[in-house]
Amino acid sequence: MQAELQGPTAATLPRPVAPPPPRGIETFFYDNKIVRDFGIATVVWGIIGMLVGVLAAFELARPEVNMGTAYTTFGRIRPLHTNAVIFAFVGNGIFTGVYYSLQRLCRTRMFSGVLSKIHFWGWQLIILSAVATLPLGFTTSKEYAELEWPIDIAITLVWVVFGWNMFGTIARRRERHLYVAIWFYIATFLTVAVLHIVNSMEMPVSFLKSYSMYVGVQDALVQWWYGHNAVAFFLTTPYLGMMYYFLPKAAGRPVYSYRLSIIHFWALIFIYIWAGPHHLLYTALPDWAQSLGVAFSIMLIAPSWGGMINGLLTLRGAWDKVRTDPVLKFFVVAITAYGMATFEGPMLSLKNVNAIAHFTDWIVAHVHVGALGWNGFLTFGMLYWLWPRLYRTPLFSTKLANTHFWLGTLGILFYAIPMYWAGFTQGLMWKQFNAEGMLQYPNFLETVLQLVPMYYLRGIGGLLYLSGVFLLLFNLYKTAKAGTLLANEPAEAPALLPEAQDPHAQGGHWHRWLERRPFQLAVGATVAILIGGAVEMIPTFLVKSNVPTIVSVKPYRPLELQGRDLYIREGCSNCHTQMVRPFRSETERYGEYSKAGEYIYDRPFLWGSKRTGPDLQRVGQKYPHSWHYNHMMDPTSMSPGSIMPPYPWLYEQKIDYSILPAKIKVLRNLGTPYPAGFDQVAVDDAQKQAQGIVADLKKEGIEVMPDKEIVALIAYLQRLGTDIKVKPEQATAAATASIQ
Amino acid sequence: MKPLRLALFAAGLALLAARPALAQAAEAGATAATDAQRTMLWFVLTTLVLVLMVFVLLFVALLSWMKPQLRQLYALPTVHDTWSGRVLGLLVGDARLVRGDVRDELLDHDYDGIHEFDNDLPPWWKYGFYATIVFAIGYVTYYHVLKTGQLQGAEYAAEMQQAALLIAATPDDPNQVTTYTALTAPADLSSGKSIFATNCAPCHGANAEGKVGPNLTDDYWLHGGELNHVYKTIKFGVNGKGMVAWKGKLSGKQILQVTSYALSLHGTHPANAKPAQGEKEQSTGKPVANL
Repeated sequence: MQAELQGPTAATLPRPVAPPPPRGIETFFYDNKIVRDFGIATVVWGIIGMLVGVLAAFELARPEVNMGTAYTTFGRIRPLHTNAVIFAFVGNGIFTGVYYSLQRLCRTRMFSGVLSKIHFWGWQLIILSAVATLPLGFTTSKEYAELEWPIDIAITLVWVVFGWNMFGTIARRRERHLYVAIWFYIATFLTVAVLHIVNSMEMPVSFLKSYSMYVGVQDALVQWWYGHNAVAFFLTTPYLGMMYYFLPKAAGRPVYSYRLSIIHFWALIFIYIWAGPHHLLYTALPDWAQSLGVAFSIMLIAPSWGGMINGLLTLRGAWDKVRTDPVLKFFVVAITAYGMATFEGPMLSLKNVNAIAHFTDWIVAHVHVGALGWNGFLTFGMLYWLWPRLYRTPLFSTKLANTHFWLGTLGILFYAIPMYWAGFTQGLMWKQFNAEGMLQYPNFLETVLQLVPMYYLRGIGGLLYLSGVFLLLFNLYKTAKAGTLLANEPAEAPALLPEAQDPHAQGGHWHRWLERRPFQLAVGATVAILIGGAVEMIPTFLVKSNVPTIVSVKPYRPLELQGRDLYIREGCSNCHTQMVRPFRSETERYGEYSKAGEYIYDRPFLWGSKRTGPDLQRVGQKYPHSWHYNHMMDPTSMSPGSIMPPYPWLYEQKIDYSILPAKIKVLRNLGTPYPAGFDQVAVDDAQKQAQGIVADLKKEGIEVMPDKEIVALIAYLQRLGTDIKVKPEQATAAATASIQ
Repeated sequence: MKPLRLALFAAGLALLAARPALAQAAEAGATAATDAQRTMLWFVLTTLVLVLMVFVLLFVALLSWMKPQLRQLYALPTVHDTWSGRVLGLLVGDARLVRGDVRDELLDHDYDGIHEFDNDLPPWWKYGFYATIVFAIGYVTYYHVLKTGQLQGAEYAAEMQQAALLIAATPDDPNQVTTYTALTAPADLSSGKSIFATNCAPCHGANAEGKVGPNLTDDYWLHGGELNHVYKTIKFGVNGKGMVAWKGKLSGKQILQVTSYALSLHGTHPANAKPAQGEKEQSTGKPVANL
């Protein structure tokens, strides 16, 4: 590494005027400053995102860790944690890697310094707006897409700036063929754009409130097509591209197999997009879509492993370096974690495994192996490799970097093992019947209390991992202090000849031809990623039989709708599912299993993906109002030992009726069958229902004003899942009464 | 080559011939399985497994003994690239067949100093990929073309049917008349007490004084205070009024224990007692017909 650094240093003296280029050799400068900026943002947001994660982890062990404020409850900061580590930490990591490697692989400076700056600051502002809105409860509740509509638009615009800058750079390249890393970058850009735009289709009600354009089962399918492929195209493909650049660079070895790159690239992007429904196995999603999800998940093993083996086999002849070089150590663990996670994922997609694992901490363990191992470690390795090159000086301390490596590895183990343990424990306890044919653990809380020690250990694992990142920050800071930033790195390359005269532009097989044509390659990638989504979504939207009608299911009354929006604001769906799966162990515990037709007025759907608390689909009418009143005030009063936090602010804040008429109008436009003019009487209807609940509570000796938020939340909870219990004629009578 | 093929063929024939016998044995085991027949079945199965093990051992021994000759055979150009030749190659441990041909020929690619080899796709990877594709096609065919597989609705129905067989003994009719009498044994009352503490106390209070749910120590009852009434209220719950149905969570015996315990608290006048709700009624009344 030292010797490598010496060479370019001699050439760092900027020449006042570039000498006349012999035989068309051009001199230009790589923009290193933007790479450095994205790198710093990566580390800073990484620390913030992981700190929030550690806080959330300990809140599950002891709810009072949230310090009693609304803004730090688990339901509100869990989305902040996921958004911060995915879009802020990994997002900035992607841009660091892409901006550094793309310039060098295209042998040209970034297309536009202005666009680079807009991209950088735009992205940081988006993250800041997430930090501001999510704890305040402005959320769409759709996982990893929680940000409200104005921010969604901003993301789209900044993403377009990124694409413009990237394709501009590619257009000006001095290298005829696109390297495999760039194929992955192109696929990332296109697919993330498609995913984000399609999943974020929502109808605004006010500046920070909107309703999804999709409803119930369809919303769930679109969301998990998005959620799954956010993992595929935000956490995987750009990082594979970065692996293909930084790994051979750091190891000084050629890539193992060019043809493997081709096959696994196309197979990966084509197959990945189909696998979304494996997040919805045993739900109300139509069977055929679930089966496609399973089948394609299994086919995904080899394409994913193609990346792993191409990475690991590239290290042949460099394993001696792995023993000493922390960069390669990080890369090896990253690639191994990638291989483990991408084998485990398909196994979790098998229905019999999924039946035990889904909704438990097993899934949390699975994603953290990917996030901490693959994304985290690849980012750290890349930063340790980049900083000495950007600052023209050796790394401040290889020893500290090695310490970071071991702290991080221990952190991953301390995180993952307790979570796997917790997942198996809970999954099996939920399903256990005793000899008399009854649930062995009928009280859900019993299964939760078993996990609390695991939650402590997991928090400690997170702390270990985070402490390593502080070492990284210190090491990079000292390195930067010791050197000077080479903001504009000089380079030379001959200009591309016109295609007809270029001997490199002729011949080769079909893929070589494609590598010379970014446009055709982009079109090909787009076609590959559109097929799977289209085949799964279009029939679910168009074919009626996929969502059989249930006559007794009626739209929410206005107060219930207000309560539902509070449920969304508080992030209840981060811990509670609304999806009783067709298992005897679930119908015994919760009641009738969930039907697709029950969700036809749910915008957004609130099925949830994790059952830290019990399922709530059938909680309506199960307990008296006073139970909910006491429980939300202090959960341990009704469930001794509960790890749910109290929600005292619901008893102080008033229900905000100001946008209720607008909500009714928007829902009516989206197809909810409220009668014409109902928006005018919605507030009256809500107040009438609130009076009824207050009167019932009074009989139990509880005095509460009808305009408090808790009343709306009780109205919603008592409505949940009750429509199918009503006999059809009763339902019509009740519905007409409620609507009038 | 010929002897090997012949041997394989003979082994296959032997297995085929053994099939009816095996099937018969299995059938015998399944139907009228007298002890003698069962012993016979296990004897046959054990012998078969032992014989198979001997065959495998002999085969491995033969392989290692004949390895040099087999290697020579495998090296013959006429054998090397045929299908049977590849099987032979796997048997003599040619790693190339699993790992692929690693020629490490550099392509003329140079991207910022990164070079690329063009090595073969590793065969284990390639055939693994094919296998998953076959699995995927088989999976969709099994469930959606042949419709042999049980989808989740059918799977649930089957699970419930099986459970119904298991718990058919427990009557589950809310209208059935029961004539239980209170348990008085200290063991029953103490297990009733612990059931009460974990399941009932959150709503009815630790001393049954009433919180969200009514006071259980006074003379007033919402759904009847006679033991069988209370038993039924606990078992089936009161939908819409907040009393949870405990069937499926507590066994019949446990419900009787906790009912007996709760009624034993009558007249204890606990602190912070909730005001009376419902009709005045002595909890110790006689069993009532037609609950």
